[in-house]
Amino acid sequence: MFGFLKEKLKKFIESARHPKGKEEESAKAEVQEKNKEKLEYITEEAGEKADKKPRKKQKPEVKEIKIEKPVEEAIEEKLAEETKKQSEEKVGFFAKIKSRFSTTRFDQETFNELFEKLEALLLENNVSLEVVDKIRADMEKRLVNIEIEKSKIEQEIKNSLKETLLEILIEPFDITEKIKENGGTFVMLFFGINGSGKTTSIAKIASLLQENKISCVIAAGDTFRAASIEQLKKHGDKLGIKIIHQNYGSDPAAVAFDAIKYAEAHGIKAVLIDTAGRMHTKDNLMKEMEKIIRVAKPDIKIFVGESITGNDATEQARQFNSSFGVDAIILTKADVDEKGGTAISVGYITGKPILFLGTGQDYHSLEKFHPNEIIANLGLE
Amino acid sequence: MLEAIGNALKKGIDRIASAVFVDKTLVDSTVKELQRALIMADVNIALVKEISEKIKQEGEKYVKNVEKKEHIIKILNDEIIRIIGEEKKELELGKKDAILFVGLYGTGKTTSIAKIASWYKKRGKSVAILGLDVHRPAASEQLEQLGEKIQVPVFIDKTEKKPLKIYEKYKKELDKYNLVLIDSAGRDALEKSLIKEIKEIKEAVKPTHTIFVIAADIGQAAKQQAVILKEACGIDGVIITRMDSSAKAGGALTACNEVNAPVYFIGTGEKINDIEQFNPKAFVSRLLGMGDLETLIEKVKSATDEKTQEKLKKNLEEGKFTLADLAEQLESMQSVGPLGKIAEMIPGLGKAKIPDNALETQEKKLKGWKHAIKSMTKEEIENPELLEKQTSRISRIAKGSGTSTGDIKQLIKQYKMIKELASSAGAMDMENMHDPNKMMSNKQLMKLAKKFGKKKTIRF
Repeated sequence: MFGFLKEKLKKFIESARHPKGKEEESAKAEVQEKNKEKLEYITEEAGEKADKKPRKKQKPEVKEIKIEKPVEEAIEEKLAEETKKQSEEKVGFFAKIKSRFSTTRFDQETFNELFEKLEALLLENNVSLEVVDKIRADMEKRLVNIEIEKSKIEQEIKNSLKETLLEILIEPFDITEKIKENGGTFVMLFFGINGSGKTTSIAKIASLLQENKISCVIAAGDTFRAASIEQLKKHGDKLGIKIIHQNYGSDPAAVAFDAIKYAEAHGIKAVLIDTAGRMHTKDNLMKEMEKIIRVAKPDIKIFVGESITGNDATEQARQFNSSFGVDAIILTKADVDEKGGTAISVGYITGKPILFLGTGQDYHSLEKFHPNEIIANLGLE
Repeated sequence: MLEAIGNALKKGIDRIASAVFVDKTLVDSTVKELQRALIMADVNIALVKEISEKIKQEGEKYVKNVEKKEHIIKILNDEIIRIIGEEKKELELGKKDAILFVGLYGTGKTTSIAKIASWYKKRGKSVAILGLDVHRPAASEQLEQLGEKIQVPVFIDKTEKKPLKIYEKYKKELDKYNLVLIDSAGRDALEKSLIKEIKEIKEAVKPTHTIFVIAADIGQAAKQQAVILKEACGIDGVIITRMDSSAKAGGALTACNEVNAPVYFIGTGEKINDIEQFNPKAFVSRLLGMGDLETLIEKVKSATDEKTQEKLKKNLEEGKFTLADLAEQLESMQSVGPLGKIAEMIPGLGKAKIPDNALETQEKKLKGWKHAIKSMTKEEIENPELLEKQTSRISRIAKGSGTSTGDIKQLIKQYKMIKELASSAGAMDMENMHDPNKMMSNKQLMKLAKKFGKKKTIRF
């Protein structure tokens, strides 16, 4: 995972050096024709400013972000820039030329040009468009109209992307520690859309808890899908974990309740509640989940998503998060695709940590998710 | 589903059609918007770039303004069709077929198999299911339970761990059926051992079709999975599942195009009847709010069996339409799907015009009617006119069924309307149900439209 993204990112950062060369050339020309150039430079700047406004109107795709910033504010900012520039003029002609040699100012145009490449790269790697927009806004704030030393341009881009991603990807907590610290019975509820891998993930986590000497039971709360209970029972047999179940069609909340009561009576540390896969578009199923939550009062609600999901990942995560409040995330099928964009999308939408990546069929194919590792993988350290 | 593409397309067309000049900025901004819609729908990025480049180029060509408009709109249309596919393709089945289903983990292979088994069983084929998923716990049990539900024989071996051995075991028995659907384990195209396994299965079984099951919400990974699987086992058809989610299926659809395999079915829910044949043109028409009668009629056909249709036809011919018939109609209507889905398919009843909860209350009302009819005596069912004469009956029924007297009155009104319509239409030719053109004559349609318009009894 992320191998592909890393490679592309390298290429992108290298391509970011190009404007540097351009700047140098124009600066040389500047020295040769000082006076003329200065005049031109000023008019150029003015023209650019004039350019900027209409461009914003023409590009509806940045609207969402731009709207956040009220127009007045934007104008004020511009005015501030203007006065800053005027004072810069006073710094002295030779000093200015010198600074043009060693530093470069990221203007909107260069940024747009550069980001377009980065945008395509992120999109190709399955980051959803909405999150790409957020990354764009963040990087724009960090880079545009800021004097950057030329030698640091590469570092700046890296840093900016790194900071943005670090904001999106939250360092996960240690679930086993959390359960150990917890006094009574720790209730974990798993939900997600159909076929995302809830049952398999639950079996993996149960196995992990067992290894950490934490006793657990599993509640077979999927009472809808054919053979879902049998599937859990088989896992239970293999792992030696008790499965609390009722019949198909029974109330999942009741199954959860039974399991919690059983755990409390037997001094069992953790209860894992499996639920039927549900589309976030189905109102009745979402209401059913509300009831399960009301009855089971879970200590942690885990959203199980697929790392191969495209733009819909944001919609799924948003709906589940706003309906039930997601506390943590497991992304399954991470072995299927080396593109890692879904982690970034889902992390951004929920603002919650990704605990694990599901990476295969057996019980040990459950990797802890480390944002720093991912960032290192991207070559951003 | 696919609404985002539809909206962007509609917007783009509107904008270009209403513009005085089609200049570069207009084309560029339209392309940008379309681009975003396509990306949001998970269409492959390379393809998105290609499409937008093409439209931009065409936009720059010098043609007279009016023609230019039409030209660009046509390109927009063509490119969308290129993504979703052109003609409806039906799975060609002979007397003896075996279909192998392959796909990633958890995309809905097993559920789709049950749906398809039920689909072809209703269309007169003798169907059997062979379960070769030996990896996932309780995969055989799942097939077994589904098979029981739809009354289709299922051949499984819960202890055998080699798929080929299971096949050998049942080979002879399977020969008796018209259509054998073969379930295989979910596999990742990058996992070599699983690819080897599916190759072996394919070689031994020699299925007449190999169908790739893919989920509507898959992102940019779709293409690679489809390409590798195609190489390994030759995909010749696709089923897209989870079409009932908010996903736009662009990834899945472009993947199909990539491997040149037509989409035969789409899965639209968890229940056995939640399956539709995929008709790209009808699909585009639905997403542009122009309805899709063909699919609706297919659905009605698969929801009601021939016997009930016969009975209804007979009753109508004799002018004996009772509340019991209405109840049956309501029943089969519910098995077609929720009203929202039905409304989407009726021309002119696009979702946009109906508030969501209006349909919900309507649905509740229908459910109430069902209970109300069950609370009636036999006499009342056969002679609903009785209720109007003796209103105390109405309050009794309302109490007994948990509805209000108003509900019951509405039910009677509805019943009378249908009865009147049925008797005036004589015997509506139920046999031609599957042909929308023959279903009702224009005259009847006009009559119907007038009735609905005047009385406004159905408040959508």
